[in-house]
Amino acid sequence: MAIITISRGSHSMGKAVAERVAEKLGYRIISRDLLLKTSDKFQVPQHTLLQAIHDAPGIFERYKHTKQIYMAYIRSALVEMVAEGEVVYHGLAGHLLLKGLDHVLKIRITANLEGRIARKVKEEGLTEQKARSIIMDDDEQRRKWTRKIYETDPWDSSLYDMVICIDKLSIENAVDFISSAALTEPFRKTEATLKKSQDLLIACNVKAALVEDFSDANVTCEYGNALVYSTEKDAHNIKFKKILDRLRKENSRIYNLEVHTGVTAPINAV
Amino acid sequence: MEQLTSEMMMVLMMIGIAVFLFIVEWVRVDVVAILMMVALPLLHLVTPKEAFVGLSSNAVVSIIAVIIIGAGLDKTGMINKLVKPVLVIAGTSTSRVIVAISCTVAIISSFMQNIGAAALFLPAIQRISKMQKIPLSRLLMPVGFSAILGGTITLVGCSPLILLNDLLIPFDLEPFGLFDVTPIGLALVASGIACFILLGRFILPQGETGESDNVAVCTLENEEIEGDTHIDNDDDHNDGNIRLESAEKHSREGNELNKRYELTTSEDFMDYRDPVFVDDLRRRYLVNVLALTEPPDFKTLSPPPEAEIRAGVDLVVCGKRKDVLRMAAAEEMQLKACIECYDKEFDSATSGIVEAVVSPRSHFVGQTIAAIRFNDRFRVTPLEIHRQGEIYRAEIDNIMLQTGDVISFYGTWKRLESLHREGGLLFSMPSDIEDMRPEKALWAAGWLILALTMIMFFKIQLSVSLMTGALGMVITRVLSIDEAYQSVDWRTIFLLAGLIPLGIATEKTGTAAWIAGTILSIIGDVPPIVLLTVIGILSTVFTLVISNVGATVLLVPLVVNMALASGADPRMAALVVGLATSNSFMLPTHQVNALYMGPGRYRTIDFIKAGSLVSVIFLVVMIAMISLIYGI
Repeated sequence: MAIITISRGSHSMGKAVAERVAEKLGYRIISRDLLLKTSDKFQVPQHTLLQAIHDAPGIFERYKHTKQIYMAYIRSALVEMVAEGEVVYHGLAGHLLLKGLDHVLKIRITANLEGRIARKVKEEGLTEQKARSIIMDDDEQRRKWTRKIYETDPWDSSLYDMVICIDKLSIENAVDFISSAALTEPFRKTEATLKKSQDLLIACNVKAALVEDFSDANVTCEYGNALVYSTEKDAHNIKFKKILDRLRKENSRIYNLEVHTGVTAPINAV
Repeated sequence: MEQLTSEMMMVLMMIGIAVFLFIVEWVRVDVVAILMMVALPLLHLVTPKEAFVGLSSNAVVSIIAVIIIGAGLDKTGMINKLVKPVLVIAGTSTSRVIVAISCTVAIISSFMQNIGAAALFLPAIQRISKMQKIPLSRLLMPVGFSAILGGTITLVGCSPLILLNDLLIPFDLEPFGLFDVTPIGLALVASGIACFILLGRFILPQGETGESDNVAVCTLENEEIEGDTHIDNDDDHNDGNIRLESAEKHSREGNELNKRYELTTSEDFMDYRDPVFVDDLRRRYLVNVLALTEPPDFKTLSPPPEAEIRAGVDLVVCGKRKDVLRMAAAEEMQLKACIECYDKEFDSATSGIVEAVVSPRSHFVGQTIAAIRFNDRFRVTPLEIHRQGEIYRAEIDNIMLQTGDVISFYGTWKRLESLHREGGLLFSMPSDIEDMRPEKALWAAGWLILALTMIMFFKIQLSVSLMTGALGMVITRVLSIDEAYQSVDWRTIFLLAGLIPLGIATEKTGTAAWIAGTILSIIGDVPPIVLLTVIGILSTVFTLVISNVGATVLLVPLVVNMALASGADPRMAALVVGLATSNSFMLPTHQVNALYMGPGRYRTIDFIKAGSLVSVIFLVVMIAMISLIYGI
């Protein structure tokens, strides 16, 4: 009853592995439909979201926070989609977006470069040189994006529970490994994991509501008690107070909502 | 008009930097003052001797002496003893209580620092609020404003007035006497109190009395909860919720904070679940564990956050009723109808809940509750923190304490007393537990009277007279020399001493005269009363954004020059600045307002509402009294 995230490079067969795992375990599969959900939930055009998750942040990001805003929206939508469990997600940065949930099985699928280029050439009819250039450029963009936004390297194996290279191992092998791992104790859905998912969803929803105007605010939630860590200035802002009042009224899952200022947000804060 | 020289431009730049730093508060105000003290001689705007002349000035020494005398009076418990007779006079009428306490605080504040008088009276006011069932918010603001206004009754009542005579020296103007300002100060105090008596109901928030905080153990009425709140293991989760909602619906006390409840954990509490600790219950359900039984039957009061909740044990918790019901359902605990096992420990004669205010200059300021470790060190449980109208109940361990924060504590009276003795917190508890020296009261009063006699009848300089009184208190052991040193607020001293050279530079370089000339050329020829009103408004605005000392140092040379140029009385212009820099009511920026904001549960809007009115009345009364007494 796990949540499985599959991180992959282009043409690494990750998509095929994800689909087969979902089919084998009877799980729901999520990828690009996350953008549709986010677009619906926050009324943001899909192409804007696509740009936000594809392009690495520019030099003006530290002033505009646009990527931060859209990532908060995407995270909120993703957590909502996976909250009930039994999901395979093979979109962008699932292992990072679902940070804080212990029962997420994080997989990285890699493949050797020559194989990836060959598949690209075969599927899209490009020259080998062109395919190589596109794949390498794409890998570099992914690397830059993850480094800028999450300060980690997607190629760092310690971020994952399992890294599988589709080379000597086949897709079927990978599906078997992942399916077996998903059924082990640490990834089982329990009342506690469900509660954690719901708490993370509350934190993400509060963050999404605040991020556009108060990007520095961080949120934690435990047992429905949401805590917003903000600056003194933000906490006294009328708009900030109005947003929180609205959340208190509209979100019945929030049991208690407090704002703390002058305190460093915990590392697990959203 | 004189030409703007490079020196003047540099002084203007330094003034600009000082004002900017006062407003943005990147560094503390006293550090800004020290920065001026160092930068001005480096820029050759004052001589090195002039840069540090503030430290030996009459004003600075007077302030040190006033603080020591105030601490001496405080040590004897004399001031607290005033509360009883004052209450007898006041009776039970809210208006009379406000008048009696405000007048007493104002008179005391006229001889000691405003913040000292305000802090001294806070516990007494909290007790009066409970005894007379008067909401604290109806009492604190009038009393706090009276403490500020009381500073205008004598020339040693507040820093700007102490400073005034020193700032008049360069102009060869006659200094003011100790009681020269008394009629004006008394009129200001009277008008401030009258404003609250007549219009209090419109300008003050209508709060609640703090009575419920100290009440004894709560008893659950059976009919309030449908059946037992114990949720069996087999019970469906939703069913528990329905029963909880039903119980909540019938609860009349659902939202009351800090009620106490006794629960028992089930025999299989530790099966099939991760260990549950005291801290977990607070974080998850906002419920504080006040007592916990360690198997087999060892009772622990105020258990530490890391204490584990075991199976088949009793525990007493405190919190909102709905939170306790939620916890009982989720953790499968049985809520008892009343306190059973801990009835002796929770008797109101043994233990209780008190509110403590973080005092000015407390060593707890800037520390978190986790770092202070109240549970471990004093065996008391911090329950919640009130700050600027907000109540913090979740994760209070990480909150950095500020002056004026109100912390609710549970503990036995003995343990709360030991916390009280630690200092740094103002408790609404009887004052007889403090380390007082009532036998020294006569000595303290005698030295104060001697100091005043020296000033009034022998015309001995303020600093010499006051330091004599302070020294007398040390020699007769009203307080020790170490206690005297500790009582001195070095921030105030360096703020004063550091800004004095800025005043000297402003005058010496002709900057003050240049600014005064420029302003006068803009506003044109105006009658003296209009000029003084403008000065009063200017001082009020300055004191709200920069400190009252900073405003005085910058404005006095300026207004004296303006008055000289326009033919008005320069002494009166300086006096208006000295008085109007106490006109700081509109924002909780004044130390007294900041201290009373938490306990009074005031919001900034409450200060704007009441403070605006009092500020206008202050200006009108001040100008009217100056014109009446000095005939401007």
